[in-house]
Amino acid sequence: MASNDAASRLLVEPWYLPVGDEVQMFEAAYRSRLPVLLKGPTGCGKTRFVEYMAWRLYRHADSPHREIERPLVTVACHEDLTATDLVGRYLLSGDATVWMDGPLTFAVRSGAICYLDEVVEARKDTTVVVHSLTDHRRVLPIEKTGELIDAHADFLLVMSYNPGYQSVLKDLKPSTRQRFVSLEFTYPGVEVETRIISHEGGVDAQLAQRLALIGEKVRNLREHGFEEGVSTRLLVYAAQLVARGITPRRACDVAVAGAVTDDPHVREAITAIVDVLLP
Amino acid sequence: MNDGQAVLLADIQRPIALFAQGLYGHFLHLKPIEPAAREAAGADGENQHGESIELPACIGQFQTRSHNLGAYRIAVLRQIGYLADGAADFTLDGARKRMSVLPSAPSAPDLSELERFLALGSRPALLRRMFLTLEGARIDGLIAQRYPGAAADLARVRARARAQRPNTVAANAVVKAVESLILYSLGGERSGLPGEWLALVDSVLAAGADVYDSACSAVELCRAIDARFHLRARTGLQSADAAPADDAQESEYFSAPPDVASLGLDFSAELAVKIVGARHHRGGQVGGLQSLSSRVITSGTPETSAQEVKSPDGGEAARALAAALPQEPSRSYLYDEWDYHTRAYLRAWCRLYEKRLRGERFDFIDDVHRRHALLAEQVRRQFGFIRPEQWHRVRRTNDGDELELDGVIEAVIDRRVAGASDSKLYVRRDRALRDVAAAFLMDMSASTGFPLPAPTAAGSASDAPAEYAPYFYGGVDDIPPVAAQPKRRVIDVAKDALALMCEALRRLGDSCAIYGFSGDGRERVEFLVAKDFRDRLSAQTWAALAAMEPLRSTRMGTAIRHALVKLLREPARMKVLVIVSDGYPQDHDYGPDRRDDSYGIEDTACALREAERAGVIAFCVTIDPAGHDYLRRMCADSRYMVIDDVMALPRELTKIYRTLTA
Repeated sequence: MASNDAASRLLVEPWYLPVGDEVQMFEAAYRSRLPVLLKGPTGCGKTRFVEYMAWRLYRHADSPHREIERPLVTVACHEDLTATDLVGRYLLSGDATVWMDGPLTFAVRSGAICYLDEVVEARKDTTVVVHSLTDHRRVLPIEKTGELIDAHADFLLVMSYNPGYQSVLKDLKPSTRQRFVSLEFTYPGVEVETRIISHEGGVDAQLAQRLALIGEKVRNLREHGFEEGVSTRLLVYAAQLVARGITPRRACDVAVAGAVTDDPHVREAITAIVDVLLP
Repeated sequence: MNDGQAVLLADIQRPIALFAQGLYGHFLHLKPIEPAAREAAGADGENQHGESIELPACIGQFQTRSHNLGAYRIAVLRQIGYLADGAADFTLDGARKRMSVLPSAPSAPDLSELERFLALGSRPALLRRMFLTLEGARIDGLIAQRYPGAAADLARVRARARAQRPNTVAANAVVKAVESLILYSLGGERSGLPGEWLALVDSVLAAGADVYDSACSAVELCRAIDARFHLRARTGLQSADAAPADDAQESEYFSAPPDVASLGLDFSAELAVKIVGARHHRGGQVGGLQSLSSRVITSGTPETSAQEVKSPDGGEAARALAAALPQEPSRSYLYDEWDYHTRAYLRAWCRLYEKRLRGERFDFIDDVHRRHALLAEQVRRQFGFIRPEQWHRVRRTNDGDELELDGVIEAVIDRRVAGASDSKLYVRRDRALRDVAAAFLMDMSASTGFPLPAPTAAGSASDAPAEYAPYFYGGVDDIPPVAAQPKRRVIDVAKDALALMCEALRRLGDSCAIYGFSGDGRERVEFLVAKDFRDRLSAQTWAALAAMEPLRSTRMGTAIRHALVKLLREPARMKVLVIVSDGYPQDHDYGPDRRDDSYGIEDTACALREAERAGVIAFCVTIDPAGHDYLRRMCADSRYMVIDDVMALPRELTKIYRTLTA
């Protein structure tokens, strides 16, 4: 909890390497308080991007929003997530009942960015609760307390989802998705990914480039049982294992080949790709 | 060869194909290197789209299995090099930019530009040998640079290639010189070769060198060799170290075809020319599929069996199918086949090409509804009664099997705060989810093009039960009279049945796929996808289904195995494979004796057993009245049905599905 607390306070600038114009786009959206939808495969940097943007908008030296204590509220969505979980509930406290804001309400009141990660995992009736926050009204009705909260001027709603592995059943309702501007993420090219792996994994540029090449080649197999290819995050894991003294081949075996597939043939092919690409 | 450590392509074909796809970025057909005679017969995949690489059927020349596997990887890397960085994009114009004195090549539409280049000059055999030597060296250099982990395998393969070079002790000076250059290009000694010759070889190893550098250096080397041996000889300036030119010996040396067995490794550059040639032919083969389909459908052979008849509207069907098959890369897969004579699998025996169907009859489903209005309604109603086959917990209900603790706590709190609470405090177990994936595999053999007999007035609609009525022309008010209808064929009724199934399954929530298959020999089993599991039902899907047309034979075992692979990828709990055919499995090379139908039946039976072992419920439906004779040899009684009246297929198919999955 302590680490979550520290993360939501964003005391340290998260490291993020822009790939395109996503930073400018997000800043423009924030200035107009337009809700943002981040689309992209798993492990491509969506969450890191939100953290970076929250730091940039709320913690930067010349930010007018520095007084906000917790600039980023992240909710990992799942199928049992209810509107109550987002908005808040009464809790028993001794002989009394106490209202406890949910993460969404907390962000709405405090002016933070509320980030609903993997939002399609939540039930569709749950996500409907955000509708009134995403248009000109910017209000959050709380049924149980009878409140209608006007969102703080600095509040912004950001959601992410991964179109790649979602089934037809787990798509966003059009009435929800058309309330957001959409930023698409994908895995970076070899050059950018090399820099990311080198920085995050703590390995030299030469090995990082080899790992990035492995990522690029393995992604060519993405239709064979794994929809999205290997994520940048997994390549960083491999690099981190190497930095801890594991051999690069073994690190790729556990962090890449073993992590993306259970199909023995695909795994064998990935191992062969790793074998020829690593020195 | 070390047999114990040898690696068969059949054993590693999937991982090695994936390895190639990963590194190249696109699917590559994987083919065993075949003897020239077999290739000349067009045995392998003349209708394929997409690129292919050829690999030895077996590599066992090295001491260990991992070394032999490494040799396979080198063979793949080299051919990827030829495709991506090599001769594949060679043009004469490009060469002319580097070599201003390049003579114009005679026009030859059948030859690629590389082949035309290699035919230039007075000594084309020498030019070809030099070019292939240098291009091979260049690609090996690229492999060493890009794939450092393959260095040991590459060195081993090159060392073996050097060891396999012919002994030149008794050869003339030209042959000796060329062999020395080849050895040097493979990492051998300098062997007293002139420095400028070596520099020409080294030049193709420089960073940024391309195929034109190989071409330029090859031309320069030819000139240098010519100058050193032949020009001097003709002008009486025979050098002391050069033996007299022996044209016969040279001719034999240069014209000797490379050993097929060593093509993939020792003479891999020869494959570069093949790759370029194949690409050239694909590029120039306008309507390749169309010509194939026409041939397939309209050519009757003296051996044509009852099953393998000429399609009644062959030309039109061929054109329709050619239009339906997209000009996009297909994929090929190798499958084992069960040989009941030897009681063993023939490894990687059949090559199956998977292709997407596309069509233009976007209103096909409307036609189906018109033809089967009553049945469509019946199916919809009957499928509505199918009970879901998996339990699902529904939370916060007014009634249920148990109390939900969270709900109770919230209710207590709400009651205390507001004096009222929600009464939805229970968890109920509902049969609310079905988890079924169904694949329908439709026989598209030529015999499905048989026209069905027109219904007679007697015994038609008026005599038939109500549910039969839609199948009889003129039996329903909204169906035009018989004379206005084109003749219906077996395949047309089957397509209607599958369309109705598809609609019903969409309502039911079951995932479904529709495939068709045909065969034209073991090297060309066609697997046509009208709807895959992930496809949504759309006008395109209906058009693709409508585009299914009769083709050739019934290589059923291979098609079942491929459908099985696709089904097993689905995450559904229950998997069903329904095979719809109109006759016994047969193909012109389905077994050593084409008059013996047992081979195909046994292979199909084996494929069905594989499906059952994998947990897939397989069911065969045939409209062949003689179906009992062979179906009872292929599967259990409960796993097949013979339908006497083809018109009843749509009704029976839906009934079968309900029974299998309800």
